[in-house]
Amino acid sequence: MKRIIAVLIMGLFLAPALASATEDFLGAPIVPGAKIVKKTDSRLELLVKMSHDQVLAYYKNALKGLKDVRYREWKAVSYIEDDSNRPWHSITISKRSGAETSIVIMKDNWTWIMGTLLLRFIGVFIVLLVLFLALSVSGAIISRIVKPEGDQKAKAS
Amino acid sequence: MTFNEIMDLLGGVMQTTGVFNFDPKVIIMWALAAFFIYLAIAKKYEPLLLLPIGFGIFIVNFPLVPMMGYEEGRPQLLQFFYHYGLEWEIIPCVIFLGLGAMTDFGPLIANPKTLLIGAGAQLGVFVTFTGTVLAGFTLKEAASVGIIGGADGPTTVYLTTLLAPQLLGANALAAYSYMAMVPIIQPPIMRLMTTKKERLIRMRQLRPVSRREKILFPMVTAGIIALLVPSVIPLMGMFMLGNLMKESGVVSRLTETAQGSLMNIVTIFLGVSVGATMYADNFLSWKPLLIFGLGLLDFAVCTAGGILTVKIMNLFLKEKINPLIGSAGVSAVPMAARVSQMEGMREDKTNFLLMHAMGPNLAGVIGSAAAAGMFIAMFK
Repeated sequence: MKRIIAVLIMGLFLAPALASATEDFLGAPIVPGAKIVKKTDSRLELLVKMSHDQVLAYYKNALKGLKDVRYREWKAVSYIEDDSNRPWHSITISKRSGAETSIVIMKDNWTWIMGTLLLRFIGVFIVLLVLFLALSVSGAIISRIVKPEGDQKAKAS
Repeated sequence: MTFNEIMDLLGGVMQTTGVFNFDPKVIIMWALAAFFIYLAIAKKYEPLLLLPIGFGIFIVNFPLVPMMGYEEGRPQLLQFFYHYGLEWEIIPCVIFLGLGAMTDFGPLIANPKTLLIGAGAQLGVFVTFTGTVLAGFTLKEAASVGIIGGADGPTTVYLTTLLAPQLLGANALAAYSYMAMVPIIQPPIMRLMTTKKERLIRMRQLRPVSRREKILFPMVTAGIIALLVPSVIPLMGMFMLGNLMKESGVVSRLTETAQGSLMNIVTIFLGVSVGATMYADNFLSWKPLLIFGLGLLDFAVCTAGGILTVKIMNLFLKEKINPLIGSAGVSAVPMAARVSQMEGMREDKTNFLLMHAMGPNLAGVIGSAAAAGMFIAMFK
């Protein structure tokens, strides 16, 4: 009985440590002391008692020297993206005001790859469609100008 | 001098030769170089590129040759061409200047809906990207391999140098080799994907295109590309400048230089620099073989994509387009257009599709540049 109670007490002390993040998720480093908010096989959401700038500085240091890692600054978040074939795809760091910062680490997934490819393929069509419309309009305008000039020249001769 | 001193001296001299620093792996590279030189000379497959590329491969795969390194901080000969020509992205842009000065966009201007065929023919680029990622390449490498299907050498070199310079040799070789093999790769796909009735479609003669339209075209195109895909304007801007020079008719000296001697000069530097990146140590791996396989898939899917685009367009058009010109969206100019012509004449000797096919052929150049711009935007 005493042993059971001792194990339970140890478990109570260990539980917060276990609920805290392990060192990395899919190879992406995790800020020490970050608390897990939600975790699935492909997504890890964390909350850490640091400012956005401190978290960003941590990641820049942790990912220093790694090739094909890109940093983007958007209005609401800082976005770190892996362009090579590491298991993690992105790390999103919120820019909310306050003492806590939210971090989301996403697994490399085919949804993003296929989605961006499809958008870009459509983008090629859009570029050429715009050019098609421009040429059609300019062709119609110029052929109307050129035709009267041709008629005038024919009349003059 | 004693005998031992003489022997030491001789030994020292021998050590500076390649014989004592020989690596057997280079024999494979020599064989590869010989193969591409054979293709260029005997088979006349893209000789302007394959000959200097082949020689570049040959000459750098000797031990101790001072060609692709640095000496006292200064680049050696081929390193100099590579660094200032390719790494600085100058050569592909100057080649496009020359190409623009050679190109007549009349067939495209006369039938601008063929621009959509040029877009559809980029399908293989994106499909191959997916396949390349599945094969274990990084995203940037996949983009540089995917663009091979655009069948545009300078665009391939431009994008690969930017995103994955370590694959430059393999990508350029694959692109130029398959461009030369378009008459072998495309016809079976064209016959498979079209019915006899479709192959017999006759198209109305193209309207005449005025000089004003031809002058306006490069300005309009450069403006639209600059607004929508600014990352690729170094290539397309030079392309359109060359074309404007040609169509203006007032700078014939410049046009002649751009399409003649300037083009020839940079072609030599391009070929030999690309070949010089192919050392045995970095080329002999599974990646180049896979690139050659994926490149072939790329060309095939791009051909299919162009034909499919025409078939979809025909669902909405009163005046049908012969789907055989869809394969010309693969921008191996003018080879792919000639293949469309030949396949059309197999069914009907009086059906002349060449000028109709030139429209998508030229549209493919713009389409592949747009695709390259999309990839650059993805990673920058």
